[in-house]
Amino acid sequence: MAHSTAATVETKPWGGGRSPFNVSYGKMMMWFFLLSDAFTFGAFLISYGTKRFFSAVWPDPNHVFHAFPFAGHMDLPLVFVSLMTFILIASSVTMVLAVHAGHYGDRDGVIKWMLWTIVGGICFLACQAWEWTHLAHLTGGLWGTFTDINTDPAMYTGFYDTNSEAFKAANPAELTEASHNFFNFFFTITGFHGFHVLSGVGFLILILVNTVNGTYHNRGHYEMVEKVGLYWHFVDLVWVFVFTCFYLL
Amino acid sequence: MSSHNHDTNDTTHYYEGDQSKLYSGIMSHHDDIKSPESKKQLKRITKILVLLSIITIVEVAFGLLFSYTMPRAILNTIFLVLTLLKAGYIVAVFMHLGDEVKSFIWIVLIPLVLFIWFIIAFLADGDFWLWMNNSAQLK
Repeated sequence: MAHSTAATVETKPWGGGRSPFNVSYGKMMMWFFLLSDAFTFGAFLISYGTKRFFSAVWPDPNHVFHAFPFAGHMDLPLVFVSLMTFILIASSVTMVLAVHAGHYGDRDGVIKWMLWTIVGGICFLACQAWEWTHLAHLTGGLWGTFTDINTDPAMYTGFYDTNSEAFKAANPAELTEASHNFFNFFFTITGFHGFHVLSGVGFLILILVNTVNGTYHNRGHYEMVEKVGLYWHFVDLVWVFVFTCFYLL
Repeated sequence: MSSHNHDTNDTTHYYEGDQSKLYSGIMSHHDDIKSPESKKQLKRITKILVLLSIITIVEVAFGLLFSYTMPRAILNTIFLVLTLLKAGYIVAVFMHLGDEVKSFIWIVLIPLVLFIWFIIAFLADGDFWLWMNNSAQLK
């Protein structure tokens, strides 16, 4: 049985009239929502993994993602996506600092750190938008591309590690199909994640407005900042897994 | 719940205000952000940030340096272990799950652990399909 802390009523945890987990309803429901969303993202990533393991050949991330804004045609594999990961993790840290400020009733601190978190989120979205635009325009990747088996191989051999056994043994049918699947999955999964970042930024702005208006000061606690912080950390966590699956594995 | 006298204009008990104060034992509300315990928590946050950055740098370095030299299975295991480590720190420290009651931690962690079984099963399934298709006998 969980032992109760000093601030809680001394009753049995499952005796009714209190939360058995010493956590408020809103926070618990946010955790449950995050669990369900984790399954959704997990299902997407698993289908990506299954399709990839099922394919004889697959594009090499080091060859697909090697561009950097304003660096022209320099070959910088994984540099840009590392920057994006760092931005999102940094925004997660500023969110923790905002929650910390909330625990201490420091309204100015909450406002400051939430603003930085929002800036980080917008920077990430801008980076993702650049990555999408670059891939769509320069490499010709997007949903539903590379469906024609007679596509000029020069259009897609750049995605592959041409020294690998798998590439040398592959025929145009397998290469176009793998390119097609790769981009379908990439845009769907990063798009779904980007949608979460966008809605997260929206919620952060909403909670920031409430904080500025003094809603939480009047309420006596900043738990809403904690809850939106949970959502934001979840968005960061998903990115960590997407980054690993698409760019590293 | 025991009844207590409400101010007729006091509607805060309709919001989660009361709940938060009831369950504030774990993350109870303090007043001074410059207090030593606040500084201690801030130090912990900074420490975890540095740790996360180092793990990410190590991951990317492995990806850049050993992509073509190390066996894929070992490299992927390293990536997965490091990623799970990162995820663990973010959930335990940043999301404060580590500060919650044990039964609640289990409620969140057990489905995720079962999910790992799900992942392994379906990746193995995809691998099997590839083997099956490649070893199919044409009559």
